[in-house]
Amino acid sequence: MTDPAIEIIDYTWKYLHSDGEAVRGINLSIAQGECIGLVGSNGSGKTTIANSIDGLIPGQYHGVKKGEVKVFGTEVEDYKRGELQRTVGLVFSDPEAQFTAMTVEDELVFGMENLGLGLEEIRERLEWACDLADLHALLEKPPYEISGGQKQRVALAAVLAMRPRILILDEPTAMLDPISRAKVFDVLSRLRQEQEITMVLIEHTLEHIVPLADRMVLLGDGRVLHDAPTRAFFDDLERIRVQGVVPPGVVGFSGWLRQTQRYAGESALFLDEAADQARRSVAASTAGENR
Amino acid sequence: MSYVEVDHLNFSYPDGTPALEDVSVSLDTGEMIALIGQNGSGKTTLSKCLNGLLHPTSGSVRVDGRDSRKTAIADMVKRVGYVFQNPDHQLFNATCRDEIAYGPRNIGIEEDEVAVRVEEARAVVGLPESELDEHPFFLTKGLRQRVAIAAILALRPRVIIVDEPTTGQDARQSVEIMEFLTGLNRDHGHTIVIVTHDMDIVARFADRLLVMADKRLVADGPPSEIFGNPEVMSRASIAPPQITRLALELSDLGLPSDILSLEEMIEAFSKL
Repeated sequence: MTDPAIEIIDYTWKYLHSDGEAVRGINLSIAQGECIGLVGSNGSGKTTIANSIDGLIPGQYHGVKKGEVKVFGTEVEDYKRGELQRTVGLVFSDPEAQFTAMTVEDELVFGMENLGLGLEEIRERLEWACDLADLHALLEKPPYEISGGQKQRVALAAVLAMRPRILILDEPTAMLDPISRAKVFDVLSRLRQEQEITMVLIEHTLEHIVPLADRMVLLGDGRVLHDAPTRAFFDDLERIRVQGVVPPGVVGFSGWLRQTQRYAGESALFLDEAADQARRSVAASTAGENR
Repeated sequence: MSYVEVDHLNFSYPDGTPALEDVSVSLDTGEMIALIGQNGSGKTTLSKCLNGLLHPTSGSVRVDGRDSRKTAIADMVKRVGYVFQNPDHQLFNATCRDEIAYGPRNIGIEEDEVAVRVEEARAVVGLPESELDEHPFFLTKGLRQRVAIAAILALRPRVIIVDEPTTGQDARQSVEIMEFLTGLNRDHGHTIVIVTHDMDIVARFADRLLVMADKRLVADGPPSEIFGNPEVMSRASIAPPQITRLALELSDLGLPSDILSLEEMIEAFSKL
């Protein structure tokens, strides 16, 4: 059997100068090629988990670690310097935090040069990443002259060009307008079709991750409170809402249809499904009245 | 006459790039407004024209009867305040107290009066007194945002523009910030303009929407009316809240087109 991409076992982390544990008793296994949505209120431990997978914890932070965090079967602390970062790519909500170069092209090439790739390989990957993120027209531009949405696509492409096997996205579209956001998610779904990549997606707006995520994990107060395939995740909406997490509008509506016995079946995830459930419930009640 | 009168405003950056074309709009005191549109549509440029940071290339901006071109910036910022999207781009003093006092001091207010205003602004934003002498960067983002707003409030502007107040905040924090801004509007009579991409927030909190697209103001009206207008939505590349789209999709069942929240949807659907 192949190792899971990420396996977290009885994991607890406490930052050195904080009172409580940031995450406690986490058990989480993510298969290769799986995409999970990680949700919870601020302070619930989402970013701590993301940083534990890419080795920033315990590498860059002081604290106390218990339990195991394995990436492709190897404990993150046992990876050689730089090797884990080659395996796990990280994209933040503020792309400027990661820019260093004077043109978009240099920005994209920088990481690959650092990997020591040959010129031909760099050229090939640059082409591939630019196609995927639609960046050809921007290559000569300085990163500070392009729009927020373009910046985030550059940041994403720069990470993808390193060909990470795991991609962690921490609120990648928080600063973007709806069109730019849709473009970023479009890049991610094309990426999933093209290659086997494991994704961990952190987002406050569930409507955006539902189309991508195979599975959703709810965190609260540093613990995993709910972990289920995306559709089943929404079986019990109260459990999600008490954590301050708001289900997408159509999921909320579908939940109400089911709760009030207007519709029997699984939760809708998308607008067309919810519309269908609504129509069926109206048709059923009309048929009932006419009988 | 309205408190803010924007008349055929055109603005081009020094290199000639146009950013606003023929914008006319008036804002009254006590309004709760959302300014929406894609990145690059002109929202921030318009905001900066309103508080006098930028001057019209042609046309005019009048605030409280004063032409922005003929009025000192210190006089403008007393009337229209602008809170940055990222409070960290605005906060630079070593304590919250100095941060809030900075604006009034800068426009020449006496120290006694500055102290009064700091206390007033602190109380309004609900910053604990114990935090006043803290470094802003030791506070949570929610509190830093409040300090940034308090720093603007201390100038006592009638109009407060807040750029993306809920970015990076979770659902609960977003509602908390918006309820706070609604309180400023309701209890203190400030005109609040939020610049945002979050249509659920818009639907829930704004009474009036200004929609920018490609440097122009393309719509101005209540959210229920604008979200129900597919032409405006597509021109501005904006999607109404998901629940509104569902109601529009089901309009043949007899659902109204002005549904903005799950609660309204459930109420309307129950009546079918």
